[in-house]
Amino acid sequence: MITVDGLRKVYGDFVAVQGSTFDVEPGEIFGVVGPNGAGKTTTLKTLAGLIEPTAGAVRVAGEPAGDPETRTALGFLPEESPLYEDMTARSYLRFFADLYDVPRETANQRIETALDDLELEHRDRRLGDVSKGMKRKVAIARSLVNDPDVLIYDEPASGLDPLTTNYVLEYVRELADAGKTVLFSAHNLYHVESVCDRVVIMNEGEIVARGTVEEIRAEHGETTYRVFTTVPVDGSEPDGDRHVSTVDSMDAVEGIREAAADAGGEVVDIRTRESTLEEIFLDVAGQPMPGSRRVSPGATDGDRRREPSEPPEPPEAAE
Amino acid sequence: MSVSPRKLLRVARWEVSRATGSLDRRTAVLGAVALLLTLGVAAGGVLAGGVALDEDIYAVAVSPDSPYHEPVSDSTPLEAVPAGAPNADVYVDDRDPSDREATVSVANTRKGQAALGAFRSAVERHNNRLLLAEENQSAAFPVGVTLSYVERATQRVGANDGTAGAGGDDATGDDGTGDAGGGDAGEAGDGADGSGTGDGGAGSGLGVPDLGGAAGSLFGGQPTGSPAEISPPFPFSSLVLAFAFLVPMNFVIQAYGSTILNERINRRGELLLVAPLSRTDIVAGKTLPYAGIALAATTIIAVAVGGGPLSVAAVFPIALVFLAATFVGAMFARSFKELTFVTVTVSVALTTYAFVPAIFATVTPVALISPLTLVVRDLQGEAVSIAEYLFSTGPFYLVAGTLFAMGVGVYREEDMFTQRAVPLKFLDALAVHLHRPRDVALLAALSIPFVFVAELLGIAVLFALPEGAAIVALLVVVAVVEEVAKGVGVYAGFHQSRFERDLPTALKLGALSGAGFFVAEKATAVVQVVGLGSLPLGQAAFGTSGVGSGLGPAAGLALLALPLALHVVTAAIGAVGATRGRRAWAGTLLVAMAIHFGYDLTVVSTLG
Repeated sequence: MITVDGLRKVYGDFVAVQGSTFDVEPGEIFGVVGPNGAGKTTTLKTLAGLIEPTAGAVRVAGEPAGDPETRTALGFLPEESPLYEDMTARSYLRFFADLYDVPRETANQRIETALDDLELEHRDRRLGDVSKGMKRKVAIARSLVNDPDVLIYDEPASGLDPLTTNYVLEYVRELADAGKTVLFSAHNLYHVESVCDRVVIMNEGEIVARGTVEEIRAEHGETTYRVFTTVPVDGSEPDGDRHVSTVDSMDAVEGIREAAADAGGEVVDIRTRESTLEEIFLDVAGQPMPGSRRVSPGATDGDRRREPSEPPEPPEAAE
Repeated sequence: MSVSPRKLLRVARWEVSRATGSLDRRTAVLGAVALLLTLGVAAGGVLAGGVALDEDIYAVAVSPDSPYHEPVSDSTPLEAVPAGAPNADVYVDDRDPSDREATVSVANTRKGQAALGAFRSAVERHNNRLLLAEENQSAAFPVGVTLSYVERATQRVGANDGTAGAGGDDATGDDGTGDAGGGDAGEAGDGADGSGTGDGGAGSGLGVPDLGGAAGSLFGGQPTGSPAEISPPFPFSSLVLAFAFLVPMNFVIQAYGSTILNERINRRGELLLVAPLSRTDIVAGKTLPYAGIALAATTIIAVAVGGGPLSVAAVFPIALVFLAATFVGAMFARSFKELTFVTVTVSVALTTYAFVPAIFATVTPVALISPLTLVVRDLQGEAVSIAEYLFSTGPFYLVAGTLFAMGVGVYREEDMFTQRAVPLKFLDALAVHLHRPRDVALLAALSIPFVFVAELLGIAVLFALPEGAAIVALLVVVAVVEEVAKGVGVYAGFHQSRFERDLPTALKLGALSGAGFFVAEKATAVVQVVGLGSLPLGQAAFGTSGVGSGLGPAAGLALLALPLALHVVTAAIGAVGATRGRRAWAGTLLVAMAIHFGYDLTVVSTLG
């Protein structure tokens, strides 16, 4: 559905994007993450036809980005919600439906559906008088008035409270389930992990990691195993009436199992800990994500690792 | 992308809807009141011949039975009070009807003397009206005068430019005679056909306005009549027209500039750029309602002052330049504060350009550079040729078109929402149109209307200086304006990395820029059509390009080839500097200007 091939964008002497290449499949939610200045917004705006690439090819549904046909099939949500604040939600949405040649009947139906789905109140109040969350919902509704196949959302949950954020993310998921292709950027890596099917991590204009979150984790992250034994083994530490060893490979786990057996004990539990996307980002980009923050249950700001709520099955059953 | 009228109209419709929605009632009422006041003052000024600020400032004690009562009552500055009233400024004592002379006494103060002067004038006007009402006009006006204004540079006013014979036996002149006073006098004399053709100015092309009635007084007197009635013309008409037509434009550009800048503030316009519309659709759609308002206001005012379609067609291009300049200014401005500066600058500059030359509406072809002169001529009922119309309004249309094209070039994400310095945005606005080297030639050619306007303004401003000094100063202006016009596109191309910064490229771009400028410059031949080339300043500004020099074929060919060589060489010099940055460009530009000035001075001196 979306093809980016060797995208390069230069502003004067500043290289914003240097040679990005990726594809997005129909119905997929594709995440673009990276710190400020990484080039993700430039990439999204190039796809929306707002910016002309210096080099490379960018296609949406087989057509060059920026072509009138492409624009008709595209819904773009910028990071901010710059609305015409003197208009009401309805008149604003009708205006854009008009620009997209949507017949009036269809437009009215779509507008009401979108506003209902987004639970938007105050539909005839001036947009300047509604809350930021409402404005964001109106902006999302606007991106849907032309019933586009492709949605490009730049930080869709930017500046929203947690409740509205969850609502918006769920709505994005529903849109993808309904067959829309969504290109999605976010600072908050938890949002990306929870919503996106595939991800690229950008840094300084380059894609430094790509794939599903699991693939990225497998390639760039690390898995550590905490092996609990009934007897002490070499390198273990006491943990109540048990002993725990931390290792980073299944071979090491096997070695501990053998050592425990030799000492007359056994492995009673193995817990796996995987790198979060944020940790991987720190690893590949060498800097923390601005504004990124853990939101998983039980996590604290100081805890940089995510503990799975349920430990995965060990690769080999504990004896 | 091409322009889609349907989408353009949609944007226009929503712009109207949005703009009216954003206007609160109080502001709307205040705006309407201000507009009505403006129109009222303008219409009042036109219909009443000026605002009566001097009404009833002198009290004249005069009996209602006195023959002096009527002149006093009819006079604006005089107020008739009962005879013997205390504190009057003038006392008229004619209680003895058998005595034909009245005794007039005044207070021995400055106000008293002024009141006496006003009283005398009122009585003279009254007597004059009585004389005009006489059946035998020859008896009433034994001497008649017809004024005929001629072009200063080519003729001197002579005593035989127009006559009105005593007795009206032959009340015609060689180059047009009046039909108001003189004609009537002739007919009243002894039945001879004393009517003339046209008014006093018809023979000279740019004559004295003769609106007749109240409107006629705007122009400082009648072209025909008794010696007492003749007064020199005053360019009050230009002032009134500039006020009446241009002041409403200021309201329009304020609103228009705000709507354009609003699109840039907080990136509001970003979503329109993503919609399936071309940039031209968006800009034209947003401009259309304001152009419509300007056209409507112009039409209403034209009707109010007694003008016709010509007046509207003359003023509308000014409105377009108002809008185009405001559009570019709003695209460059980084805040509403800067936008205010832009709109004030646009307003002052254009009002000056339209008003100052129109002062000379009755004097010289220089006046035709202002479309307001066309309005004056429309009000006089004079014909305006297509060439004169194009000469007067063509630069406005071209400037407006070029400015809009420049603004549309930067109506894109990369320029709209950034806080780049204005000069950088200007260079960007030029550079977006540079895709191939030959585009530099097109850019230089498109600079011609600006060059033309700048040089015409130079003529108008320097017109009052002694001829020798004015010509030298004008040649400096010409050299500066033309070299900058040719060089700025090339510099923008190098600055924005559109071209390789090497010597062959610089020479190529310089040659293309010079050639493009030269070809477009030939369009200035239109100055010959309206007679501007007959003026020394006109020759200095436009004659050095070889147009209409009146020389033989060889010399004429040389004068055609030499300017081409000049433009190519000087543009190439500037282009070489442009490859090395701003300072180097400025240095080479000075060299190019010096060469240009030297060439022009030589040509002007040679041609005499």
